[in-house]
Amino acid sequence: MSLDLPISDSDASPEWTRCLVACVGTLALGALLLFAFLIAVDPYDSGKFGLLGIAGVNDRNTHTSVASFARDANFDSAVIGNSTALMLDPVGLSRATGLRFVQLAVTGASPPEEFAVLDSFLRHHPRVGALVFVTDPSWCAHDSAEPWKAFPYWLYDNSSLAYAGRLFSWPAIEHAFQRLSIGLGLRRRMDPTGSFNPDDVWPAGEFYEINRPKDPPPAATMAGRDSFPELSQLDEVIKKLPDNVAVVLTVPPTHATTVAQPGTVAAAEREACNAALSRLVAGRPHSNFINYRIDNAVTRDRANFVDFIHYRPNVAARMSEGIAASIKLGNAAKIDF
Amino acid sequence: MLFNDYPFLLVFLPAAILIYRLVDPYPQLRILTLVLLSFAFYAYGNPPFILLLVLSILINWLAALAFARTKMAAIITAAIVADLAVLAIFKYSNFIADNLGLVLGRSLPHFDIVLPLGISFFTFHHIMYLVDLRRGKAPLYPLDRYALYISFFPQAIAGPLVRWSEVMEQFGRKVYSPGWQREFYVGLAFIATGLFEKIFLGDRLAGIIDPVYAQAAGGPVTNGDAWLALSFNIQILYDFAGYSDIAIGLGLLFGIRLPFNFNAPFRSTDIQDFWQRWHITLMKFLREYLFFPLVNKRMVPRRWLPVQYFGAMILTMALCGLWHGASWTFVLWGTLHGIALVICALWRRYCPRLPSLLGWALTVIFALLTGVIFRAGSLGAAFNIYQGLAVPPDLAQGRHLLPVVIIVLMAFVLPASQDVIARLTRRPRPWLAALIGFGLLAILVSLGEGNVTGFAYFRF
Repeated sequence: MSLDLPISDSDASPEWTRCLVACVGTLALGALLLFAFLIAVDPYDSGKFGLLGIAGVNDRNTHTSVASFARDANFDSAVIGNSTALMLDPVGLSRATGLRFVQLAVTGASPPEEFAVLDSFLRHHPRVGALVFVTDPSWCAHDSAEPWKAFPYWLYDNSSLAYAGRLFSWPAIEHAFQRLSIGLGLRRRMDPTGSFNPDDVWPAGEFYEINRPKDPPPAATMAGRDSFPELSQLDEVIKKLPDNVAVVLTVPPTHATTVAQPGTVAAAEREACNAALSRLVAGRPHSNFINYRIDNAVTRDRANFVDFIHYRPNVAARMSEGIAASIKLGNAAKIDF
Repeated sequence: MLFNDYPFLLVFLPAAILIYRLVDPYPQLRILTLVLLSFAFYAYGNPPFILLLVLSILINWLAALAFARTKMAAIITAAIVADLAVLAIFKYSNFIADNLGLVLGRSLPHFDIVLPLGISFFTFHHIMYLVDLRRGKAPLYPLDRYALYISFFPQAIAGPLVRWSEVMEQFGRKVYSPGWQREFYVGLAFIATGLFEKIFLGDRLAGIIDPVYAQAAGGPVTNGDAWLALSFNIQILYDFAGYSDIAIGLGLLFGIRLPFNFNAPFRSTDIQDFWQRWHITLMKFLREYLFFPLVNKRMVPRRWLPVQYFGAMILTMALCGLWHGASWTFVLWGTLHGIALVICALWRRYCPRLPSLLGWALTVIFALLTGVIFRAGSLGAAFNIYQGLAVPPDLAQGRHLLPVVIIVLMAFVLPASQDVIARLTRRPRPWLAALIGFGLLAILVSLGEGNVTGFAYFRF
């Protein structure tokens, strides 16, 4: 079967030149204008660009909104973690400690993403008051976690070029219009502390039998049981912090049925990880390690949880008391949980 | 390097156009420049394989040169056998080992082999030229022209399969001569169309049906989603037709007119018609270089010639299946299509002509059903899909199903992309050109999200 190309006769009409100019011109000019718009608005409030002076974001996706919160100079302290840290109220922590806390929890995050957020926060804050880490089981893995492909590392990176290279996308355009509407007063910016209305995230009510803790597989050997690559990396970060920076490491509570029974391999693994976490802040002023993953009346009550790993605000408030006490008194703090 | 990714669209392509524009006034540099650009394109993803491509070009060209001087047909035969052997090593080693293991009753070791991009396609290009050289139909070409025939970047990785006679004389032509603006504009229209087919139709369908095939690989599909899996053939149509249209458009930017690969195959009214509209250049290759030699070779007594003819038809299609991948499911898929072609040929000879609509429905149903075997990866997974068809589709997911319905209807109703482009570019319309420019901008923005997926035929 033979087919003829539609351009079998060469046609040198100047009209075709106009067509080519219209096609390439629309593409080039459109790209230029769009890019200029995105640079001017800075869709994610990264601070790398932005000529219009718009403050904050209106973005419920923590993967992107935290980039704005993490660079806000109004804060000096941060909560780092994933959805298991989301209920910790930064305003309450600020009130209890006298510091200025921002909530930097990123849903679904593992240590690589949390390190990216931490790095961004530290880069934007030469003076840090306190860092609170909510270390879910992924921190206790004996192998390094793979970076999450869906996470926008480029947004937390220091490189303006990497950021600029990602601006040319539909989500960035959508975010740019959100920011523009904040600038025009048509939309309110989100609370810059990063705190959520708990009812917006997890409405009060029943317990869902989902989200069991993803405890990492046990070490293949006894020698490997004390090897935690993510905690080694965290250790390096903590050691570089000035002594006056308070560091509180917490293990978030899970429903009591998921707490390892004493004498089991799982319990031994958990103990090893707790010991490693404890060592990271041993001897550091105003710092402490708190293990909230215990079997007690609080964790046995399903009313205190949304599911197996997500606790409700009343539990978060009790955790906050322990965190605030630790920032004041270090490991001498009395933890009532 | 993928045609649907920024490194190609924003860096390589503009640079290649600029470089070629600069060398266009110098005839002696045109072919060499395109060869070097093609090598750079090929080397981008996996640099070591450029050695394989260069060696392959050199050895086959030397074989052609030796044949031209000595007229010893054995040289061509040896070169073709070597080409097929290299293809077999890279593509079929593990398949052969698995089947040999089954025969011997013990498992043989697997080889960790990466398939070099485009090896199936450049092997066939070598074969087309060498066979025609031996037949006395093709002349001997200089090395640079032959190298460009094999490596020309728009079609080196996944076609269209181009016969040497279709492009050799086009290489080295002055591109920027009066009228180039129209060719360039039509080229951009093809690229925009191809990217649209790939990103907004093919990839969109893939996102919906891939989870269904993943489910089928693990067990039965009992929720009615098996019906979605039937649209795989439409997905691969838009994936591969999209690739082919981009290749044709790129060819035009460098003054080369490549042949079309698809002609609205889902408007076919019988299976023969389908195979004259689907992957047209592969079917031309198989007809010319496999089917006709098999049919024309005197192998059986005269009264058995129809058996030889139909046997060759089935064998050609079975090998067509095997070419797509080293698996018995591909062979089964090809064989089923071969049998269908035989039935179609016999029907045409002995039975009344079917109403067009009935012929169309039978063709489409057959193509979509056999497409499941092609995609499923195993007979078990394919049967899980077929069993799942007993459950009616969940129409409550109306919004979820709508893209599938629209894209499938587009394949059934719309004419071939080249016909659409021909109609749209019959006379200059600057407003339409601006719209195409805007479409290209929208495509570039879509690619900015970073979820770029490779073309299906890169695996074949």
